[in-house]
Amino acid sequence: MSLHTEGASKLTGRVLNIQHFCTNDGPGIRTTVFLKGCSLRCKWCCNPESIHPRPELAYDLKKCIGIKECGLCLKECPEAAIYVVDADGKVRINWDLCTNCGKCVPVCPSNALYEFGRAMTVDEVLEEVDQDASFYRESGGGITLSGGECTLQPEFSAALLAEAHRRGINTAIETAGNVSWEYFRQVLEHVDTVLHDHKLTNPERHKAWVGTTNVRIKENYKRAYETFPDKRFVARTPVIPGVNDDEEHVRAVLAFIRPYMNVVDYQLLPYHRYGETKYGFLGRVYQLKDFDSVPGETMHRLQAIIDEAFGRTGTPTST
Amino acid sequence: MTKPIQRIAVNCGGGYIPGLDAVVAGAARVAHGLGWDVVGIHDGYDGLLCPERYPEGGLLKLTAKAVEALAIGDGNTLGTGARNDPFRMRAVNAGHEVEEVDRSDDLLRMLAEHGIDAVVSIVGGSSITGLHALSVAFKLSRKGLRTICVPKSVENEIASVPQAFGYNSVLSHVTETLLRIRAGAQDVGRIAVVEVPGHHAGWLALQAGIGALANAVLIPEMPYDLAKVAAAMAAHERDGRRPALVVVAEGARPASTGAAEGAPSPPRSGGLRASLTPNADPDFGEGRYVIDRSGAAAQSVAATLQRLTDRDALPLALGPLVRGGAPTAVDRQLGLAFGAAAVRALHEGQSGAMVTIHPPDIACVPLVETLNRVRTIPAASEFVNIARALGIALGD
Repeated sequence: MSLHTEGASKLTGRVLNIQHFCTNDGPGIRTTVFLKGCSLRCKWCCNPESIHPRPELAYDLKKCIGIKECGLCLKECPEAAIYVVDADGKVRINWDLCTNCGKCVPVCPSNALYEFGRAMTVDEVLEEVDQDASFYRESGGGITLSGGECTLQPEFSAALLAEAHRRGINTAIETAGNVSWEYFRQVLEHVDTVLHDHKLTNPERHKAWVGTTNVRIKENYKRAYETFPDKRFVARTPVIPGVNDDEEHVRAVLAFIRPYMNVVDYQLLPYHRYGETKYGFLGRVYQLKDFDSVPGETMHRLQAIIDEAFGRTGTPTST
Repeated sequence: MTKPIQRIAVNCGGGYIPGLDAVVAGAARVAHGLGWDVVGIHDGYDGLLCPERYPEGGLLKLTAKAVEALAIGDGNTLGTGARNDPFRMRAVNAGHEVEEVDRSDDLLRMLAEHGIDAVVSIVGGSSITGLHALSVAFKLSRKGLRTICVPKSVENEIASVPQAFGYNSVLSHVTETLLRIRAGAQDVGRIAVVEVPGHHAGWLALQAGIGALANAVLIPEMPYDLAKVAAAMAAHERDGRRPALVVVAEGARPASTGAAEGAPSPPRSGGLRASLTPNADPDFGEGRYVIDRSGAAAQSVAATLQRLTDRDALPLALGPLVRGGAPTAVDRQLGLAFGAAAVRALHEGQSGAMVTIHPPDIACVPLVETLNRVRTIPAASEFVNIARALGIALGD
């Protein structure tokens, strides 16, 4: 089915951010488009602002100039969700009363109050992506859809990727696979490289750490491997200390993917806490705040198992 | 006309504090006296909304016999609902997708189905989880639920409540712990820098610091200058007092920057991976100021004081340890009194209010007067004057 229609280019998606010059989200230098909305709740999530499907308020206390100089947001909030702490004269958000109406955002002169997420059309996204076209040609790169879960916006994602293809741009997605097969298939048709997560292999452990079991995810992956034999699949695991930083997990993923020749690699992504600050901006609690990174020694040991399975020797593959 | 109350429920939002059963017992005793039936809801409102988690039932019938056991115990029979929210309940839908759904209408319907006419909710203060429980009670009240809240707090920062339930126990444990730390540090010539809860209000740091005769107490209300603290400690030493203890509220901040000093910086995000995370630049915002990173204030102050005093400084964070132990007699009495007062307020027709104490009276204030406010320490507080008179440096 051709998605190259006037209507498709005007389709609107909920976009969180567009990141340029990415080198770890598929081949070459890429432009990664982060979409809003996710169907999982990983406790280590580094993009908490991508979880909610709609735009949501964020607050950066450092930028607030205080009620002596300003206080405009206090008057604007219809829910009385903004209040002042005497100790520093700056405002705080009662996140339980906030309805994300966004009325406080335009009146904030210092951008302490802002929103994560905005509506963009396929054309608008590609206009920005096209700025990097010369890098794609030189490096073999292209566009990558990430999230959130980009397949939760199947029509928009499919239209965006189809139009990118039409313009000669290589396409990739980052997905956790927890959507209906119909959505998954709809997007995969227009993807060259599928970076897909294997977070945990045991369904109950998956539920404990990620919010739901992985039964449908595994079904989707198997079906995708079989339905799209010509596409390039790269399995990935975000390695979380004390959760999946063990050989058993790596070997279980390898057993799952190795029968399929189109799964060309398995990459380990070391745990990091870059997203921690954003939990504060969103008034949420980061549950893994006391965890350190997985030691390099462990990462090398796990990587060696993967390299052996893929018949590689020498320097471990970069993640 | 409002339906007469025949049955009430008691539940607990926010985090654990010793002796919560005393509040439940106080409420149930008075309700029984009024001829009302009483049930407890497990884990906030989860006992009602998630019955599948409770094979023996999510509601606990609080008979006179059951209450007798609660009244003399130290426990928390009902559990707490620190992060539970009927307005944003996490659920897995038919499509296996995790989502947050508003189940407040379900909750009100279930309360009605169980014949529960009103709820006594034990709620917390201004921390994320504490404020959350109070906000949930407020929103349910706006939706028509008859409710009276009982304040509990570790930091004693709830507006309009001079003394929240649980604070006396926490203060007692912290003071005792500080005295032990002080003795140990003094013996080996080190300075213990002890961080205690208190993001916005320094009551716990100040009162426990006074109780343990600390050399210095640093609180959020008074931006500090560590050079002045070091000078005060040098003076203490000249007077024959070996400096050994500095108490820091976790929200204390230096005068120079107006921001929390040095909490260890969030992990730097200079790597490639970081560049792939939207807005992950650590300079993008000051996460350390808004994220609960226990121990950061103590580490920062200890590092600077060590440089300024040339003495070993040992950072310690009491964190969640302050919530343990048995309730004090004061709290046991206050819990029973607050529980009883909440039911009496319902009997008088009040709703959407919080019990408070203005010694010797116990009264109620509207929830809207306590919500979104923090009871901080005024500069002219008698506790500040007492600390100064005792020679405790405040860093100002």
